[in-house]
Amino acid sequence: MSQVRLTVNGKTVADDVPPRLSLADFLRERRNLTGTHLGCEHGVCGACTVLVDGEPARSCLMLAVACDGREVQTVEGLDKDRIATALREAFKQHHGLQCGFCTPGMLITARDLISRNVATSEREIRKGLSGNICRCTGYTNIVTAIGHAAKALAGGGGE
Amino acid sequence: MTAAVKSRFGVGASLQRKEDDRHLYGRGQFVADVKLPGLQDIAFVRSPHAHARIKGVSAPPDTAGQVFSARDLPDLKPMRAVPQVPGFRPSGYPAFATDKVRYVGEVIAACIAPTRAEAEDLAATVGVDYEVLPPVVDAAAAAKGSSVLVHESWADNLFIERTIQGGDIEVAKREAEIVVQREYKLHRQASVPLEGRGVLAYLDRRLDELVVYTSTQVPHTIRLGLSEMLGIEERRIRVIAPDVGGGFGGKARLSQEEVAVAALALAVDHPVRWIEDRSEHFLAAIHCREHLYRMTAYADRRGRILGLDAELVVDAGAYAMWPNGPFLETGMAARNLPGPYNIRHHRVKTFTVATNKSPIGPYRGVGRPGACFAIERMIDEVARAAGRDPLEVRVGNMVGPDQMPYKSVTGMTFDNGDYPQCARMCADLLDLPAVRARQKQGEPDGRLIGVGFAAYAEQTAHGCGEWVTRGAPFIPGYESCQARLMSDGSLVLMVGIQSHGQGLETTLSQVAHQELGIDPAKVSVRHGDTDIAPFGMGTIASRSMVMAGGAVARASRLLREKMLRIGAHLLQADPKDVRWEDGAVAGPSGTVRLEEIARIAHLRMEQLPDGVDPLLEVTATYEPAIDTGVFSYATHAAVVAVDPLTGLIEVLDYGVAEDCGTVVNPMIVDGQIRGGVIQGIGTALYEEIPYDDQGQPLAATFADYLMPGAAEMPAIKIAHLHTPTPYTEYGMKGMGEGGAIGPPAAIANAVRDALGPLGAELNETPMTPRRVLAAIRTARKRT
Repeated sequence: MSQVRLTVNGKTVADDVPPRLSLADFLRERRNLTGTHLGCEHGVCGACTVLVDGEPARSCLMLAVACDGREVQTVEGLDKDRIATALREAFKQHHGLQCGFCTPGMLITARDLISRNVATSEREIRKGLSGNICRCTGYTNIVTAIGHAAKALAGGGGE
Repeated sequence: MTAAVKSRFGVGASLQRKEDDRHLYGRGQFVADVKLPGLQDIAFVRSPHAHARIKGVSAPPDTAGQVFSARDLPDLKPMRAVPQVPGFRPSGYPAFATDKVRYVGEVIAACIAPTRAEAEDLAATVGVDYEVLPPVVDAAAAAKGSSVLVHESWADNLFIERTIQGGDIEVAKREAEIVVQREYKLHRQASVPLEGRGVLAYLDRRLDELVVYTSTQVPHTIRLGLSEMLGIEERRIRVIAPDVGGGFGGKARLSQEEVAVAALALAVDHPVRWIEDRSEHFLAAIHCREHLYRMTAYADRRGRILGLDAELVVDAGAYAMWPNGPFLETGMAARNLPGPYNIRHHRVKTFTVATNKSPIGPYRGVGRPGACFAIERMIDEVARAAGRDPLEVRVGNMVGPDQMPYKSVTGMTFDNGDYPQCARMCADLLDLPAVRARQKQGEPDGRLIGVGFAAYAEQTAHGCGEWVTRGAPFIPGYESCQARLMSDGSLVLMVGIQSHGQGLETTLSQVAHQELGIDPAKVSVRHGDTDIAPFGMGTIASRSMVMAGGAVARASRLLREKMLRIGAHLLQADPKDVRWEDGAVAGPSGTVRLEEIARIAHLRMEQLPDGVDPLLEVTATYEPAIDTGVFSYATHAAVVAVDPLTGLIEVLDYGVAEDCGTVVNPMIVDGQIRGGVIQGIGTALYEEIPYDDQGQPLAATFADYLMPGAAEMPAIKIAHLHTPTPYTEYGMKGMGEGGAIGPPAAIANAVRDALGPLGAELNETPMTPRRVLAAIRTARKRT
């Protein structure tokens, strides 16, 4: 067991964890933050994407012990986030989700694209989503939703 | 049929989904999110061999009570799918392998520990003594005979051999001026919902009830199966499908793991769960699509197809999945082979072959993507032989609107629609002259441009007679709804389907609004729970909107009738003089609202008229007015660029024109189309689980198995026709699967068009760069 102390959604948490415990399992099993989903556990599908020190990361590939002293944000920590709020509204309006399993990872990735100002065209958004698999929607509505959210946030109307 | 009156909330409105918020805030609940005190994880020991005799299973002595195999659960019955199809050979499929394993990934033992990681550690200590046997891997070869038997009690490896025919193929042969022969093949793939399968079970000692959470599309059917395999009365089993992260057919059959986890929950004294990892999904969840067509088309000199003569081999894997078995796939493919065309002579010899691979099950479109691929590729080759444009030959062969209702040569009744107009609308979605000009001019990067079409008619929401004909052991010809209007006027709809992305919580509320005027925000739709809903057959076969929507409409009308009687009494009016208007009973002297009637029906029974019982609670079932299904139809078009040096195909443009009758929620329908098309592009270009000659699967991760991603997928253009069918409520038709049917064929035809100058054609999926280059090489050798 190793001791870790990290910030999860703004709160400091400390726990004894086995060295092999992934960040995803730590969040889901130890913190009951089940909004972070596991779609492949080998770093391809993107459903488990969270923010570590503000950067998107695959929580299935990251070990909990590697997050000692770091700041982790999950979808549950973005309830009041300005960009996530705009994205949620756009996803509803443009039917950007069906089963909802990829949705938390999509939101976190999309939020990152908008915050880095690389969601300015369809091409750019599609490239930005290349690490997130959605099996239901065919992506078009997700791309449209992100584009609209980006415009709305930039004050360009959109919504 | 009720005329669809369009309102902001009712049938025809693009209402935002009730499902969205919980997922957008990360508050959905999938099986892996369910937490119970004392819950432990299961890891399965699975066969590493395609075919082997099990000589023994051993575990270290200190693991007693944590490791279970077949000998520890002697009362568990094997899953035995027995469709009512003459000549079908059933195969007992045990939850834990007994004497033999028949595919890589088959469950042999289960290990239980506090975490999955520890359960996997335990699984590594379990020893299995195998006598390895040669595997059956090539279905087409095995169909002709094999010295190795997958099931030793069988005479050969055929689940069933059956010829499906209509008309007289000899007539077509005699009259033909064009004869085209081809072989078409779709390789094996999986359904790959982003949430894998998962099962959690425990014994509720207070209720003496086995509670099973499972990621399924068919909770009531699973309860039925568990009852049979475990030998427990149905009243003692509750199956809950919570949020389900996609299914696409892949979660519509009883699995080894569902039976195993349920049995283990009874063998230990704490809740247990198994959460499928992605490799397990590729190894052991249902596979699909592996069809081989050897086909001859007979046509006149204009390309009008007179008859089809074909051989169809379906690689069904090792076992028949409960309850339907694999002939459902074969039969559907054979009957859909003539497509939406007026073809009067048809013969398909089918072979449904057992091999040492994972069992097949339904995946979006089931047998139809294969059938569509074969007939649509064939149409293009017939057009080439006739020297005519494939789209014109296609339209010329189509069943015309004046022929509706049309009984196909394989006995399907196309109810209505205008297939040729739909094909032309689809062509209009693309700027064809511009595509042709670009094609002629040539690309600066040397890529070749092509355009291709594919059309299909899609049987949906088939009723009782159709399922009886198919030999289904259970007949999903109806659906159910229990509607409970609460004392405050809010409404609960309890339905036997399971919504896992289709948005049925929203669309069923829209139906209730249509009938009762109630705000959809005041409606709860409860599904996926056998303790809550009346028996239902789940969400399969593009049926839920038509069937459950019909049941909700009927239940709502029963409530309305009772409220009209109560309302008339309250208004002191003759029941003949009152009517339902905007959620209220309106009479000559005034109105009384639904909320007031609901209050009185529950809390003030002294105000009810004589002979009217308290409560507003009804159960209704619904079946469409036609047995053979209502046919949605579509034409797809693809524009591709093929790189002849690398073999890489890019889809430049994609269009769908379709007709699914009356649309309940246009936003959701377009979403289903787009999602289906992208899955079809996956089948066409990327997704494949190859097996080596030892029966080892070669794709077990997303690194080996390519999924369509946002970056390489086109936006999909959509056009609609709306021809309400007279046979369902509001004129709805099912449409959930359609999108996935057309793309393999449309893209292959576009590739054929692109490679026309080289004389190459692609007749198998997925059309990987390797296969494209091989086709070009073959064509070069020929010339």
